[in-house]
Amino acid sequence: MQTIIEVKNLTHVYTDSENKEIKALDGINLEIRQGEFVAVIGANGSGKSTLARHFNALQRPSEGVCLIEGMDTTVEENLWDIRQHVGMVFQNPDNQIVAAIVEEDVAFGPENIGVPTAEIRTRVDAALAAVGMSDYAKHAPHLLSGGQKQRVAIAGVLALEPKCIVLDEPTAMLDPQGRKEIVTTVKKLNREKGITVVYITHYMEEALQADRIIVMGEGKLKMQGTPKEVFSHVRELYALGLEAPLAAKIADDLRQSGLNLQQGIITNEELAESICR
Amino acid sequence: MLTDIALGQYYPGNSLIHKLDPRTKILITLFFIVAIFLASGAVSYGILWGFVFLIILLSRLPLMLVLKSIKPLWIIIVLTMVIHMFTGQGENVIFSWKFFKVTQEGLEMGLKMSMRLILLLLISSILTFTTSPIVLTDGIEALLRPFKRFGVPAHELAMMMTIALRFIPTLLEETDRIMKAQTARGADFSSGNLMQRAKNMLPLLIPLFISAFRRADDLAVAMEARCYRGGEGRSRMHELVYYGRDYAALATVFVLIGLMAFIRWGNALCVL
Repeated sequence: MQTIIEVKNLTHVYTDSENKEIKALDGINLEIRQGEFVAVIGANGSGKSTLARHFNALQRPSEGVCLIEGMDTTVEENLWDIRQHVGMVFQNPDNQIVAAIVEEDVAFGPENIGVPTAEIRTRVDAALAAVGMSDYAKHAPHLLSGGQKQRVAIAGVLALEPKCIVLDEPTAMLDPQGRKEIVTTVKKLNREKGITVVYITHYMEEALQADRIIVMGEGKLKMQGTPKEVFSHVRELYALGLEAPLAAKIADDLRQSGLNLQQGIITNEELAESICR
Repeated sequence: MLTDIALGQYYPGNSLIHKLDPRTKILITLFFIVAIFLASGAVSYGILWGFVFLIILLSRLPLMLVLKSIKPLWIIIVLTMVIHMFTGQGENVIFSWKFFKVTQEGLEMGLKMSMRLILLLLISSILTFTTSPIVLTDGIEALLRPFKRFGVPAHELAMMMTIALRFIPTLLEETDRIMKAQTARGADFSSGNLMQRAKNMLPLLIPLFISAFRRADDLAVAMEARCYRGGEGRSRMHELVYYGRDYAALATVFVLIGLMAFIRWGNALCVL
């Protein structure tokens, strides 16, 4: 499969308020292929948000390169192409909606890149349908629920017809209902439209949905693999300030106390099945 | 609750006036103001009143709703009337008592001035009653666009208005929340003298401003991520289009101005 995001030896250094140099990212090597669903997990301050911001050139590398479809993010001319290819959804749904009507907000992106009037209409309708918000096209955003606002934000990115969507903790401010809405929507977009998804989260249950999980810690890429591979390392994750899903933790504890359980148990069903066997 | 405040005073509807292009409505309002200042004599004012009531009728707005828009300024209107009445110079004294003197000319002047004010208020309220703030913003942007070469930042102004409209409810909600949180901590927003109360507002204002700045920062990043780079090369989902009714409406208001000018200077023309 084609590579869409390629990160080589990426280092990001910034100076904090006391003029100390801080390495937010330290020598990251990473490749994300077209159509993949990648989850990025890590404790607070592990650099996962900074990494995400490199993917659509909101941040530039201090060292190393970040290539989006082969385009270098440090080259000024590539900037708008990159941002069209890689859309970004942020944590706070309130602070990323620009217009006072849902459909006007979804149109904001295509308007910015000068899409012809008639095409904007079709793009907006398609984007709202894809996130299941067509009925709310004329509503005011501040009257929607958190999950609905976040779906509008996703539609706003979809209207740019990106190949990849980066979501930076999109569910952190939502209730369980809203979280479910977002995960379902994102998964659907990935499966049905083949959109590459980079999903940053600190909810392990959400990361389980991904094809691949990347674990960040102290600005470094600590681990990567399928959910099964990553969540089998319960203690390594714990050392990074992360908690594996409950089933994986229980399985690990049971193995410790001598029970002969198979490896790679991460869901409740798998746990129940192997205990009852 | 603070969040109950309706934005603007838009009164949704589907009348001819509602459907007019926002640019047409803004221009009509401006030209009507010109007509008001050209008006002289009872006939002119009669025609202007007729025009305003015709628009109200066409817009299907409740008459009382429109008339209510005079209310906030009634003191100024009455004051204008009274001052003109007593200070107007003229020979035909209607009423005098000690050094108070009401002349016919003064009375007429007062009536004229307050009528001008009322007409002005009515026409501009009709504009905001029949045009949603969002559409109004589009109209203002479109009308200002030709002045861009003289340095008028048309797109930027419109963008600011759009964002302001979007965030007013959000910030009101936030104000409400902070107020409750501070009240729970013992803050008092409703007692004490003016000075005291102003001081008590600080625990509300500081968190509100900090949060507003943070929101602004977040929004700026989100806008940039969605390829925003100013008004250059931007297209619109809703292009404004003039229809037949817009030309007709503009023609009507030009006729009105012509009529006012004729009534004012017509006799002079006849003499020539």
